[in-house]
Amino acid sequence: MSAPTGEIYRIDWLPGTDVLHGTCHCGAEHTAQDPVEMWEWMLGHPEGHRLQPQSQPQSEPQSQPQSPERAP
Amino acid sequence: MPHMTAFARNQWYVAAYSHEVGRELLGRTILGEPLVFYRAKEDGAPVALGDRCVHRRYPLSESGLDGDRIVCGYHGFTYDRTGACVYVPGQKRIPRTARVASHPVVEQDSLVWVWVGDPALADPQAIPRARHLDSPGWTTVRGMEPIDADYGLLVDNLLDLSHETYLHGGYIGTPEVAETPITTEVDEGAGIVRVSRHMDDAECPPFYARSTGIAGRITRWQDIEYHAPCLYLLHSRIAPVGVLPEADGSDPNGFHTEITYAITPSADGKVYDFWMVSRDWATDDAEVTEFLRSNNHTVVMQDVDALNLLQKTLGSERAGYQELSINIDTGGLAARRILARLVEEGDKPVEKAL
Ligand code: FES
Ligand SMILES: [Fe+2]
Ligand SMILES: [Zn+2]
Repeated sequence: MSAPTGEIYRIDWLPGTDVLHGTCHCGAEHTAQDPVEMWEWMLGHPEGHRLQPQSQPQSEPQSQPQSPERAP
Repeated sequence: MPHMTAFARNQWYVAAYSHEVGRELLGRTILGEPLVFYRAKEDGAPVALGDRCVHRRYPLSESGLDGDRIVCGYHGFTYDRTGACVYVPGQKRIPRTARVASHPVVEQDSLVWVWVGDPALADPQAIPRARHLDSPGWTTVRGMEPIDADYGLLVDNLLDLSHETYLHGGYIGTPEVAETPITTEVDEGAGIVRVSRHMDDAECPPFYARSTGIAGRITRWQDIEYHAPCLYLLHSRIAPVGVLPEADGSDPNGFHTEITYAITPSADGKVYDFWMVSRDWATDDAEVTEFLRSNNHTVVMQDVDALNLLQKTLGSERAGYQELSINIDTGGLAARRILARLVEEGDKPVEKAL
């Protein structure tokens, strides 16, 4: 069961275009021309949700949970 | 299998309007559960009980009240407002299991909400508000239509108002509705989907032209707030083209109409469509009230006919038919997903009895 996250997802259909512009609650952005693809990207969070370039260079997109190998 | 959205249990649903619950027993089936409603004499509070007599399953809603007790119309088993059987004919011993389920009920904003699920989880604070339905300064017209369609089809219908242009042309639809891009926002934790469509310069549809008296083109805003699973609010603002709210947030020159729906799943393939139109303008004008009532009823029936037809059509399709979603469906897809989550959360480890 997925617990509520209390987070906001937003998708703007850009006026004058067919383009959807999505913003995840984490700040990641994405454009698409298909709402199904957009929601797949959105709900895939954090997969593929790199922060915008100017934000701090975060760790690589990780597909597995933090491993404890850094612990002494 | 025809189109079928699973039910989300452990949620509040609108069962009736306040004025429908009185001293006549009212039967409504909600999420597949037959329920009977009445208003207790004792304190005026609405009561919701299971609608099948434990004896031979006679519908209690077809029975009678004796004070605040229901006397089964078949052999007289008598139930108090908690659902406990307090009398059976001919004998002193009342079987201990003789009781019908009692459901938590809240009456608020002129709506009677019932909880379907585990009563221990019912939190009245979780019920979304629709204060305009019962506030001074607002006038409301309303009705309820049962539809022979999956409730998911009604959610789809209401979340995508581009259909106004085609299904409701000449009433509330104009070309600009379908042409204008939307923004969609999902508040995951609160279970709210917001869909907004702001038309800067649009034709005024007859529904508003004839009721407000605006002759020319309009600025028309539609801001949807869907509180899954049951309550749908459409905040509508229209004004002569270019007339915007004041800098201080007041809006003396805008016409505000609150369009409210309660989407209450009845049984598989059946939904109650509660519709309400509230306005803060011309509130005392009986002619406007009657016009909005009859015009909106016509609009609702256009949807009812379309959804009845759609359900029938989907029912004749082979399994696994395809749909094709485009930009206008962004909000509807969000609502489907939220509903799927609520369904999952409402499913107890206990399997549903079939
Ligand atoms: S069915 Fe109700 S008393 Fe027999
Ligand atoms: Fe409609
Ligand atoms: Zn993200």
